[in-house]
Parts: sequence; structure tokens; C-alpha cells
Amino acid sequence: MVSFKTKGPFFKFYSWLPIIILTISVLNEFDFNYLNLKYFSFNFPFILIFFFTLKDFKHFDYFFVFLAGLINDTVVGLPLGISSLSYILICITTSYYRNITIRPNTIKDWFYFLFILSLVNSINYSILTLFFSFNLILMNYLVNTFFTFLFYIIFASIFKYYLKGLND
Amino acid sequence: MVASRDDFIIAIRSAFLKKSTQQKFSLITLLLISVFTILLSNLDFKIIRYIKIGINEIVYRSSFVVSIPENFAKNTFYEISDYTSFFKDYKKNKKELNNLRSENVSSDIIQFENKELKELINEYVSSSDKILAKIIVDQNSPFLKSIIINKGSRDNIKIGTNIFDQSYLVGRVIEVNYKTARVLLLSDLNSNVPVSIAPQNIQAIITGSGDNNSQIKYIKDSMKNEFNEKSIAYTSGTGGIFKSGIPVGKVKIIKEDNSKKFNIEFYSDFSQLKYVFAEVITKTEIQEINSETSQNENKTINPLQAKLKILEEEIEIIEDTNSKYKQENETLKTDQNKLAAKIIDLENKVNSQKKEIEQNNQDAEELEFLKLNLYYAHKCRRSFFNSKGFTVGSDEYRKCVMNKGRKN
Repeated sequence: MVSFKTKGPFFKFYSWLPIIILTISVLNEFDFNYLNLKYFSFNFPFILIFFFTLKDFKHFDYFFVFLAGLINDTVVGLPLGISSLSYILICITTSYYRNITIRPNTIKDWFYFLFILSLVNSINYSILTLFFSFNLILMNYLVNTFFTFLFYIIFASIFKYYLKGLND
Repeated sequence: MVASRDDFIIAIRSAFLKKSTQQKFSLITLLLISVFTILLSNLDFKIIRYIKIGINEIVYRSSFVVSIPENFAKNTFYEISDYTSFFKDYKKNKKELNNLRSENVSSDIIQFENKELKELINEYVSSSDKILAKIIVDQNSPFLKSIIINKGSRDNIKIGTNIFDQSYLVGRVIEVNYKTARVLLLSDLNSNVPVSIAPQNIQAIITGSGDNNSQIKYIKDSMKNEFNEKSIAYTSGTGGIFKSGIPVGKVKIIKEDNSKKFNIEFYSDFSQLKYVFAEVITKTEIQEINSETSQNENKTINPLQAKLKILEEEIEIIEDTNSKYKQENETLKTDQNKLAAKIIDLENKVNSQKKEIEQNNQDAEELEFLKLNLYYAHKCRRSFFNSKGFTVGSDEYRKCVMNKGRKN
């Protein structure tokens, strides 16, 4: 496990890692789409944003999350601001959930994440189809939600490991 | 009850407004900025357009740089799989090349004729230049099928510019920046292309399905029975968005319960694109060309001269066609002569074989006679004891021997 004795540049890099990974993932669309598996896709930024907002991680700046949304819109070709709205909505709902939770539980978090995913994706889909007249396949959204939900538990355990290293 | 409502309000307020020491903005501020950005991005103001172009340029370049390791891994995987099927592909390509060479001759003539006819019906002559463009971002997203190319307004790329893979259509430009452009692929759900389906010559519109194919839409039910798997789709040019006569793909019939679905399988595999061609079209008014020509030719021109020029060019085409046909005829004649010589040779062979067979038959008959002669000669030969016999060597004698001594 990583542990830091001094708070040098490497520590700074390590503590800003979630934001760096978020930026890279929106630039690179880290989602294995090139494997061309039919219906398979998941949204890694959603997992990352939900987890670190839930943990109230101090280096996870919402402004960078907003910027990551803008980058994602530019790369994917969506109207500017749509992903930012989705990401900020995740932050708001997660922040609310964190405030009302007295005893955190991973399984509860997991299912709450499913609720947030459904909500955010529904809003996203509605805006794109109603206001921007995009033709989208609903099935793709459902499958994306399902796989993002499934992958959450795997990534959450990796992120916990990361946080553990930072606390040491 | 009041306490729980208070808790709810406190939690909401905290979620929206609370700003910890590290955060620069509260979430409600960012939410409002997001909504504002969505509204702004839809307004077509010059300044917003320039900001968008600036953001696009920076993000596309950054995305290209960040994607380098992943693209490297992806390309290595594709290259390895390419090597495994290398020899097979080589043989297939060789065969295809031969076929294409033979088709190329007639294609040249048609293109030439096509150009002339277009000049007659249009007000302008369009000359096109295909420029090579590299794909810098290809996200292969399941939601939107688009790619980013490294050519933009600097290279005369415009919204609607047709994009090709070899000579096959892959999409059109929907967003132009200074050095980059976004191409909407034909497989995208929002892509509609007017096509002609050959050889039936049916007009239809194809819409992307989100996969690597598209569906044929807006055709009469009665025409559906005319399709077969050999039908091909090419752009009809209706609407003026796409140029006419660009091959798109083959028709594939999918049977579902009692109904049939018609898909178009693209000639090009969009997931494997690395480079594409962008067709930059420059339109020149015919009148201008004519006036320029007229200045050179005593500064006078009339419709008769223009017509004469077209006719001259037409004659040139016909002569060109004729010379090609002549060449073809000569080759055919040589082939015919060779075949005739072969036929004569074979006929001679057949005749000599026939003779041999006849000789063999005769020999066999003679052998049979000699064999029977040994047994029945005394019954057929005229002698002192057999006055009813025949002279040896006569036809009657031979007949008698062959009848095994029976005289009648």
C-alpha cells in the first residue's frame, strides 16, 4: 500500500489523482467501446463522481467536475453543458444523501447510486430528445445504467484502497 | 414531523449551498452555470461560435494526445489480427483487382459522359478535390456515431462536406472548427441519406441504426418485393446534401416472423477507419468560364459555338469509345482465330481416332472369321465329298463359315 511520510509533490499528485483520472477518462472515453460488444457500455465518470462526492473528498473540486462535463460534451458531440448538468446533479443528490445518512453502508450506497443513475440518465435522455430532437436508443441508456451500477462495487473497492493509502 | 421537515430542509440547503474550504463554487452556482451554458450553446452568436471553436480545438487535440496509449494498444491488436489473415486477403484482393481493372474501362467513359451531361443541365461546373484527413478522435460511442478529423475551415472544409473511405461514403461534416471538424457517420441514428437502389432503380432514404449498418425507410410496400441481396445502394443526390452516384452499401434482407426488414450493410467498416478523404468542391459558374474563353477567342461567343464545342467533345468521347471497342474487337478476333485452329486440330484428332476404331472393328471381324474357319472350313469348302460347298475365298464361303457351316 502507498503511504506518505512527507507531503511532497508526489503526495500532491496522489491527492489530486481522482480529478486527473476524471479528466483523462472524459478525454479518452474510458469505456471499452472499441471492443464492439453489443449493448455493452458503462459510465466511469458517474462512478468516480458519486464515490468521491459521497466521501466528501476535499481535493475533489466541483468546479473541475463541471469542466470535465464540458470536455465530455465536446468530445462526444453533445450540446455544451449537458454532461456538466448531469455531473452536478450527481454531486447535489449525493451530497444530500451524505447529509441525511448517519450510518454509511456500502450496499445502501450502491442502490442509492442506481436511483441517481436512473434519475440523471432520464433527465439527460429527456433533454436530448425533447429539446434537441436527438434520436437515441433507450435500450442503450438502460444497458449503460445497468453496467455502471454493476461496476460501481468493483471501482468503489479500488477507490477505498486509494483513500486508505492517503489516510495512512 | 416539524423536526423531520427541518432536517430535510437543512440537508437540501447544505447540499446546494454549503461550500467547504477547498470548493471554489457552491453546487447551486454550478448547476445554474450548466443550465446557462446549455442555453448559450444553442444561440448562434458570433462570439459563442468562436468560443465553441476554441474549446473544440483544445479538447480535440488533448483528447488525441490522451488517447495515444489506448490507440496504440488498439492498433497493435488490429495489426496482429491483420497479419494472421494477410495471405488470404492478398489472394482475395488480387482477384478483386483483376475484376476492377476490367470494370474501370467502362467507368472512365461513364464518368466522362456524366461530366458533360452535368455541364448541360447545371449552371455550374463542379470540380472536386479529395484531401486526406486523419481521424484524431473516434470514441465509438453507443449513443452518437461521430468522428473528429484533423482538417477544418483552414482546408476549405464546410458543413455538409462529404467524407469518404476510398470511394465509399462514410458521412458528412456537421461541425467545422479552424483545424478540426466533426463528421456524422452514416450509422448514426440522426443520419438520413437519400439513395437509389440499383438495378431496380428504387428511390429511398436510409437511416442509421446505431450499429454498423442502416435501415431503408420511406419506400412503397409494393416495391419491397423487388429487392434482393444483390441490390446495391448509392447516393441519389436528392436534396443536394450528398453528391449523386457514391456507393454506400449492399442490401441485406432480414426476415422477422411475417415481415421483412431491409438493411444496408456499408462497404466500409466504420470502426476500422484511420484516414478518410474529404471532398472539397469548388463551383465555377459556366458563364464565367465561357466569358473567360471568349476573351481568349476574339472576345466573342455565341450559343452555337458553345454547342459546337460540346459536340466536338462528344465526338472525342465517341472516338475514344470506338477505339476502346476496336481494341476489344481485335482481342476477340485473335481469340476467335485461336479457337478455330483448336477446333480444326480437334476434328483431325477425332477423324484419325474414328479410322482407328474402324480398322480395329475390321480386324476383329477377320479374326472371328479365321477362328471359325478352323472349325467349319470342311463344311463349307467344295470338295469331292461336299459338292454343295463353295469355292474358298468367295463371299458365299465366307458367309457359310460365319454362319458356322449353315449354308442358308
